[in-house]
Amino acid sequence: MTLHHYLILAAVLFCVGLMGAFTRRNAIVVLFSVEIMLNAANLNFIAFWRYSDNPELLHGPMFTLFAIAVAAAEVAVGLALVIAVYRHFKTVDLESIDTLREE
Amino acid sequence: MNEQLAFWVLAAIAVLGALVAVRKRNLIHGVFALLVFFAGLSGLFLLLLAEFIAAVQVLVYIGAVGVLLLFAIMLTERVAGDGGQRMTSRGWFWGLVMAVAVFVVLLLPAIQQLPSPEAAQPIKPSVEELGKKLMDPYVVTLEVMALLLTAALIGAVTAAQGVRMPKEEDSPE
Repeated sequence: MTLHHYLILAAVLFCVGLMGAFTRRNAIVVLFSVEIMLNAANLNFIAFWRYSDNPELLHGPMFTLFAIAVAAAEVAVGLALVIAVYRHFKTVDLESIDTLREE
Repeated sequence: MNEQLAFWVLAAIAVLGALVAVRKRNLIHGVFALLVFFAGLSGLFLLLLAEFIAAVQVLVYIGAVGVLLLFAIMLTERVAGDGGQRMTSRGWFWGLVMAVAVFVVLLLPAIQQLPSPEAAQPIKPSVEELGKKLMDPYVVTLEVMALLLTAALIGAVTAAQGVRMPKEEDSPE
């Protein structure tokens, strides 16, 4: 297995997440598409660490650890916002939440 | 040889899980596909000898994020997914084009045949070293992270319980 295998896999996963975020209407699906993209980036961090010259410095896992913590905070706040939006608009369909759009 | 087999199987699990997760109409099924994706990714982390990250992935993503997503869906959706409605957004085609374009751009370095570095020899388990590093050079980051998580906790509770909006007055017409 070379580094390229992991990088291409991460690119595929990232673009699947991007596709989900761009093409779905449901706010929750968009949120977990963002999670897929974050995870693809984590895979890149770990792959670069594994194939780096001195893995004993542990930069990759450390970065990934903090990225996971930030992602967890993001999911919690994001879902709370989705629930608040749902309470206000009675829907999580992103296309019917367009109050700010100019008519 | 075994490593290659494991890589391809885990990669297939991860990609299929992600694809099903973003394409499934039924959101509950989508979240379970997402959990499969997280599990596949955790396996890949193990394959890259990042055993602690793999464990954290299982604990945080499969354990916490999955359950949180399920709760949010059950609070806001008709679970089976409403059959009649469109599931894709208006500009979905251009979204797809953009995603493919980004993919091509990401692949450009791979086409250029950059030298591929060798993996380091089997490396030592890194959990102990990670713990020490969290306490020595990264302690400020750790504290900031704790602050961030606390703020996120408070923010999430405040946002979800709903701030009482000031009564909307009739806007002057």
